[in-house]
Amino acid sequence: MTLSARDVFWGTSGRMIVDGVTLEAAPGKILGLIGPNGSGKSSLLRLLCRLRNVSSGVVELDGRDIGQVSRRELARRLAFVEQQATTEIQLCVCDVVRLGRTPHRSALASWSAADEQAVDAALARVGMSERHDQLWHTLSGGERQRVHIARALAQTPSELILDEPTNHLDIQHQLSILTLVRRLGVTCIVALHDLNLAALFCDEIALLHEGRLVASGTPETVLTEETIRRVFGVAVRIGATASGRRHIEYLVDPDCYGEAAP
Amino acid sequence: MSHHPVQPNWPARIGIAVAALAAPVFAIALAVTIGEMRIPLATAFQALGNGLFDLGYPVSAIQQGVIFDYRLSRALLAGLCGGALALSGAILQALLRNPLAEPYILGISAGASTGAVAVMILGFGGAALTVSGGAFLGSVAALLIVALLAAGAGGASDRVILAGVAGSQLFNAATATIVTTLASAEQARGVMFWLLGNFGGVRWPDVFVATPVALAGFAICMLHAKALDAFAFGADAAASLGVAVTRVRVVLFAVTAVMTATMVSIVGTIGFVGLVIPHAARFLVGPGHARLLPVCLVIGAIFMILADILSRILVPQQILPIGVVTALVGAPAFAIILYRARRPA
Ligand SMILES: Nc1ncnc2c1ncn2[C@@H]1O[C@H](COP(=O)(O)OP(=O)(O)OP(=O)(O)O)[C@@H](O)[C@H]1O
Ligand SMILES: [Mg+2]
Repeated sequence: MTLSARDVFWGTSGRMIVDGVTLEAAPGKILGLIGPNGSGKSSLLRLLCRLRNVSSGVVELDGRDIGQVSRRELARRLAFVEQQATTEIQLCVCDVVRLGRTPHRSALASWSAADEQAVDAALARVGMSERHDQLWHTLSGGERQRVHIARALAQTPSELILDEPTNHLDIQHQLSILTLVRRLGVTCIVALHDLNLAALFCDEIALLHEGRLVASGTPETVLTEETIRRVFGVAVRIGATASGRRHIEYLVDPDCYGEAAP
Repeated sequence: MSHHPVQPNWPARIGIAVAALAAPVFAIALAVTIGEMRIPLATAFQALGNGLFDLGYPVSAIQQGVIFDYRLSRALLAGLCGGALALSGAILQALLRNPLAEPYILGISAGASTGAVAVMILGFGGAALTVSGGAFLGSVAALLIVALLAAGAGGASDRVILAGVAGSQLFNAATATIVTTLASAEQARGVMFWLLGNFGGVRWPDVFVATPVALAGFAICMLHAKALDAFAFGADAAASLGVAVTRVRVVLFAVTAVMTATMVSIVGTIGFVGLVIPHAARFLVGPGHARLLPVCLVIGAIFMILADILSRILVPQQILPIGVVTALVGAPAFAIILYRARRPA
C-alpha cells in the first residue's frame, strides 16, 4: 500500500470536478488514469500530490494523511510531472534537472557529488545527456517533456505522478519513456490519452468520466467495447496484441474515405 | 551557472569575495573625495580615522564635516539603497515570474509619495511626523491595500501585478490632487525633487536605520535562494519540489516591502535600479539565485554610489535628482548589455 485516495472530492466555483474518487496505486505498479478531456484527470493528480487540498476525503501515503506531511518530506518521495510547464527564464537543461535536487538540499548546502550523480543519471535515463548545456527555450516540445521527466527522476522518488508524459513525444520516445517507467520499478500513477499505450504499459487502469470513477481494474476488465463507447462515444473493436495485451481498433465510418477509396 | 565544479574552488571563491567587497569600498572612496570641495584621498582617510576612532589627525573642521558627516554617510546610504533595491527587484521578478517586476510594483513608492506629500503640504501629523515617517506610513498603507486587493483576486502572479498597478494609480492620483490643489510653487518644486530621489538630507541616523534593514533583508533572501530557483516553472512546480510556497511568498514579499519602504522613505523614489540591475546581474552570472542575489547587492550598491557622484558633478553648481541620473546613465548601459547578450531569434 503506498499512495491512495479515499472518497476524494474537490470542486471550485460551485462545480464538483473530482467527485468521490477512491483508488489505490499498488507498490511498484503502474496505475493508468484515462478519461475524456475535462474528466478531471489532472485535477485528481494535483490532489494526489497535494498541490490542491481535498474538499473532503483523504489522500494517504503509506497510511498517513498527506495533509499532515510537510511539503519537503513529500517532495523527497513523490515527484510530479505537470501536463505543461514552461519558463521564460534562461535556464539550460542541467539547471532544470538540478531543480529536482531541491527537496534533498538544505538552505545552505552546497552542490554535492551525490547531487551531480543523480542529475547525470536522470539525464542519461531519458537520453538527454548530450543536451546538458542546451538552453531550455531552444528545446522541442518532446525534449522539454523528457527534461521534465529527468527532473522528476533526479528527485529519486519512490512514487511518480505523470500527467500525460507522452504528450509531444514521437512514437519511439513514447514507448521508451513508458518502458523506462516500468523498469524504474517505482509506484507510478500516469494520466494517458492513448488507450493502447495504457493497455500495453499499465498494470491497472482507472477510468474517469465527469469527475467520477466509472471503472477500475486490470486493462482487460476496464477496456471493453461497451465502456469505451459509453464514456468516449466512439465505436471500437477489442483485439489482442502478440504479447496478449489488449489492442483497441477504432471503427470509423467507411464513408469518410470517399467514393474513390477501395 | 551552466557548469558547477563539484569541489568548490576555494581560492577562486575567496578572490571573488574580496573583489566584491573591495569594489564598493573603492566606489565609496571615490564618492568621499570627489565633489565641489576637492579633498585629497589622504585627508579623506585621516578624516575617516578621526570620525571612526578619534585619532586626532589635523583635519580642518570643515573638511572633517564634509567628509565624515556629509559625504561618507551619503555614500554608504547610496550603496545600501542601490543594493536593497536591486535585491528586491530580483526577488520580485522571481516570485511574480515577470521580468518587468520591480520594487515599486506593489504600490510602495506611490504610497510613500502620498505620505510624504501629506506631511509636506497638508502638515499631516504636525511636528511629530517627519517627511520620512509620513512616507513610510504611506507605503505601508499602500502595500496593505494592494495585498488585500491581490488576495481578494486570488493571489495569482498576474493578479498581484494588476492589484499593484491599481493601488499605485490610486495613490498617485491622491498625490497629484494634493499637489495641484494645495501646493505653492515652492512646495511643488520640493515635492518634485523628493519624488525623483534625493540623497541631500542623508545623515548618520539614516545609515543606522538602513544598514540593519538591508543586511537582514539580504540574509533572509539568501536563505531562500534555492526556493526562488524552484519558482522558475511556477508556483505549482515549486510546491511539488518541496517549497512551502505560501510561506516563502509571504516572507519574501514582506522582506522586499520593508527594504523598499525604508529606502523610499529616506531618499524618495529612485527608479531604474531595481528593474535593470537584476537583469544586468543575470547576464553576468546566470539565473541561479545563490549567485544572483549577492551580485545584485554589490552591483546595485556600486551603481548607485557612482550615480550619486555623477549627480553631484554633472551640472556645475547644481545637484541633479538621482533618479534622473540612474535613468540617464543606466539606460544606455543597459542597452549595451542587452545588445551584447542578444540571442538569435
Ligand atoms: N481551477 C479551476 N477552476 C475552474 N475549473 C477548473 C479548474 N481546474 C479544472 N477545472 C475544470 O475541471 C475540469 C477537469 O479539468 P482537468 O484539467 O482535471 O481535466 P483533464 O481530465 O486533465 O483533461 P485533459 O484530458 O484535457 O487534460 C475541466 O472542465 C476544467 O475546466
Ligand atoms: Mg489534464
